[in-house]
Amino acid sequence: MLPLPLFRTLILRPLRRDLLRTALTILAVALGVGVVIAIDLAGDAATGSFRSSLETLVGKTDLDIVANGAIEERWMRPLTALPVNARFAPVIETQGVIEGAGSVTVYGVDFITQAVNSHARSVATQDLDTSAIVSSALAKRMNVREGDSFSLALSDQPCKFRVASLVDSNETEFVLLDIATAQQVLNQYGKLDRIDVFVSPGEDFTRVEREIRSILPASYRIEMPGTRSDENQRMLRAFRWNLRVLSYISLVVGAFLIYNTISVSVVRRRPEIGVLRALGASRSCVFWLFMGEALLLGAAGSVAGIALGRVMAASAVSLIADTVNALYVSSRPAAITIGIPEVVTALVTGTVVAFISSLLPARESMEVTPVEAMGRGAHEHHARMHARRDLVWAILIGAIAWPVSKAGPVAGNPIAGYGATLLAIVAMALAAPAMIVGMSALTRNVAQLFFGPEGLLAVRGLAASLARSSIIVAALATAIAMMASVAIMVGSFRETVIVWLDTQLRADLYVRPAGRAGAGEHPALPAEAPALAASIPGVEAVDTFCAMEIEYQGQRASLGAGDAAIVRRYGRLRFLPGEDRDAVLRSLPGQDRVIVSEPFANKHGVQVGSVLELPLGDRTVRVVVAGIYYDYSTERGWVIFDRSTLLKYLPNQAPTNLAVYLRKSADGSQVRHALEQRLAKYRVVVAPNRSLRRNAVTVFDRTFAITYALEGVAIVVAMLGAANSLLALVLDRRREFGMLRYLGAAPSQIRRMILLEAGFLGVAANMLGLALGFALSLVLIYVINKQSFGWTIQFHPPLALLSGASTLVLAATVIAGIFPARAAARLNPIEVIHEE
Amino acid sequence: MNLPRLELRRASKVYQTNGQKLEALHEVSLALEAGSVTALVGRSGCGKTTLLNLAGAMDFPTSGEVFIGGRATASLNENELTALRRQRIGFVFQFFQLLPALTTLENVELPLLLAATKRAREAARERLEWVGLSEKADSYPYQLSGGQMQRVAIARALVHSPEIVIADEPTGNLDDASGDQVLGLLRDAADRFGATVLVATHSAEAAAMASMRVQMRDGRICAVERA
Repeated sequence: MLPLPLFRTLILRPLRRDLLRTALTILAVALGVGVVIAIDLAGDAATGSFRSSLETLVGKTDLDIVANGAIEERWMRPLTALPVNARFAPVIETQGVIEGAGSVTVYGVDFITQAVNSHARSVATQDLDTSAIVSSALAKRMNVREGDSFSLALSDQPCKFRVASLVDSNETEFVLLDIATAQQVLNQYGKLDRIDVFVSPGEDFTRVEREIRSILPASYRIEMPGTRSDENQRMLRAFRWNLRVLSYISLVVGAFLIYNTISVSVVRRRPEIGVLRALGASRSCVFWLFMGEALLLGAAGSVAGIALGRVMAASAVSLIADTVNALYVSSRPAAITIGIPEVVTALVTGTVVAFISSLLPARESMEVTPVEAMGRGAHEHHARMHARRDLVWAILIGAIAWPVSKAGPVAGNPIAGYGATLLAIVAMALAAPAMIVGMSALTRNVAQLFFGPEGLLAVRGLAASLARSSIIVAALATAIAMMASVAIMVGSFRETVIVWLDTQLRADLYVRPAGRAGAGEHPALPAEAPALAASIPGVEAVDTFCAMEIEYQGQRASLGAGDAAIVRRYGRLRFLPGEDRDAVLRSLPGQDRVIVSEPFANKHGVQVGSVLELPLGDRTVRVVVAGIYYDYSTERGWVIFDRSTLLKYLPNQAPTNLAVYLRKSADGSQVRHALEQRLAKYRVVVAPNRSLRRNAVTVFDRTFAITYALEGVAIVVAMLGAANSLLALVLDRRREFGMLRYLGAAPSQIRRMILLEAGFLGVAANMLGLALGFALSLVLIYVINKQSFGWTIQFHPPLALLSGASTLVLAATVIAGIFPARAAARLNPIEVIHEE
Repeated sequence: MNLPRLELRRASKVYQTNGQKLEALHEVSLALEAGSVTALVGRSGCGKTTLLNLAGAMDFPTSGEVFIGGRATASLNENELTALRRQRIGFVFQFFQLLPALTTLENVELPLLLAATKRAREAARERLEWVGLSEKADSYPYQLSGGQMQRVAIARALVHSPEIVIADEPTGNLDDASGDQVLGLLRDAADRFGATVLVATHSAEAAAMASMRVQMRDGRICAVERA
């Protein structure tokens, strides 16, 4: 039971008195909670718009019929003839580009037979091929009204359309065309992307599904609405899960801060606790006083964190959306909505972290006996005595973390990897006191030599305030370790990708349709493009590649087909160790053999020689895996055919990309110019090798920008913690500083001493943090990343970045010490020396 | 004519608390010679500590003047005051005020280090030997008894051979035997090093060993006795 008057005088009053420290603690918790909320909100907003915006117009569909490599339109007739009370609507869904408005979703639906709604019916039959229905949100952005014309580029050519009608669609943006027009423009005669099924009320749902199944080929899938959205969310699970874990770093750093605040509170009030206990206060009463303080700070930080999270989410959403689009699937960011669940999550997160991190110091407060009024010296002496014992624990826990990291994933999640990370952080925190004691002993003479008496006092002061300084070091080291490990992982990944791009991109020029090129989008090139390219003087070979999205074992994957002979001759595709590249590529043409990317192999447990059953068009094809190659373009994984094999099953597949190889004697810019001229009437982009590589690296950097932002917040929280703890340290040792003034210390010497202490703290934290960071980067690269995404990353620590970042952290720690140093130098020695 | 080492001339100190004036010292005049030991006695709150603060150049009188070595403390700037404390004054406190992070020797050495004096270590060893604690040079304060800690504090106060030693209740926290040892050392500081020792005390023994006893009451000197 918490006695409120006591809480007010013993806890609230000091919190009010030390307003700056209270504010710093609350701000740190708010930042920690805010980041977690921001990542959740931004993640939802960035990935939450998979549901077809068509639903806003035509209502919810009951079933979707889909297939890998398009549905044959001829199946519409038998479907509509089925003896079921249901409506079938053919749909084409693609991305188009509108001048000035960028990329938009374009649907082709049947304006005539499928009365989608009054808007479609209002389009006159003779105007079908030039009319478009535009969502009001898009029209507003395009600044067009009914009757206006606009230019929409689909696949390769711009077409003029007239706005026949506007539809209100909340915030979603789309253009609706008649399906025949869409098929014509996209050169997709007789092909559909899906068929939406609307079951009439009262009709037996399962009977409809059974009837449909009975006539369609086995390779066609009948999905419940939302399956695609669920599938996308599932695909993004690992990505969001890793992002979420990263967002918890600030919270962990914040936890150290609460631990520190409460332990400062307990140490300072030991005499009061002794008096309270002597006057009859129970142990639990004392315990709950301090827990109350922690919970109050946690709750206040959480409330502030909600507001902060909403603000941060706005910045994070575009970064996350970029990553999702680049690596996973096309989506449009939705509005950020903050609801009851987010508020509850924030409150629970903040208070639970506060509760857990204050358990130890609050428990310590219970141990104060009525006769005890232990001073700092004895308390710190105990801390020094425990340093060796804690080091033994650190070694033990570190030793346990190693085998834990080796364990396999649990339900696809690298739980053991995260567990090992947490254990390593605990081990580091326990090793911090021994590290400071050791550093203090070793650097004593050096510090005095270089920095005079202030240097000696600073290093010895750190060891003297061990309980306090080790918390600052542990918090800072955690932030530094996470920064270093993620920087090493991202740096290694970047270097691996650059090397991979070098091996993968061997052609001189690449041709693709203009417009957005997000993951999972493969707009087609004109069928004549390969021949046009090959006819240009100077061109030696053209690899025609066609890509599409497929579903394999319930998961999204990419399927591609290129010319294996050209890849063998010019490319340097790298296969997993032990595979003969030449032999593998030679075995592909005309055979039911494929190569798969490493992420695909890892995700589906595929090995060389495995047989894949791939639904293609209206049949299911069995192909043998001839080889597994390294690939970092998409986490969903690739299955690559030789073009001749794919055309056998899916004839008339339009190319999506061309890789153009030039003769040695050819002038690259001349050929490029000629190619652009030859393809001028189509909307295509001709990119030279170098710009493609540069773009890929730019996309990569943008993709990982969010991780740096998250680390930045963790470092800021650690800095707040350092400033807060240094301030506490100054308050605790104020009599010491007063005494030094009596002994002839100048205020500038006191200031220098605190700044040096801050600097030494920064050095100790950097040493521990970088050591831990290197260890954690190995877990990230070889365990967490491998289990989450299936990529093999070569270890390439970005040393320049790391040394720059650690110098920055060191400088920031010293900056965090400026205010406490000034406070210490301004203390009135008479006042502090006579406090007793 | 020889100037006194430490002189207070009609020194008064008034504190303002919550808009109310509190006169801690009222026109106190006192002159102390080299090699003298002066005991300030009187009840708690009579102004002893205020007088020590003025004498140690840690505070300034509201009116009147304090001269150390012939210079008025109020005329000195922050750097000059710091230099004055480093060179001419040594302090001993009731609660020892040793730095827990430093060894005994380092604590003694500290004033010399702060003043960047050469051969600090030798001087510190000499003073530690003088107080009889050479064997405790590498011990930390928490490993010493109260009496030992106060002896270390006296060694620290004398390490830079100050002209003035100011001690605020140096035996207030010690048993009788330790208290006697500490008083003996303060007397010795005056006799051997010629220091001017000013001690605020409640203890009759401390007052007895002084060459001059100054009785204070309500911020005023009410009696001066010379031994």
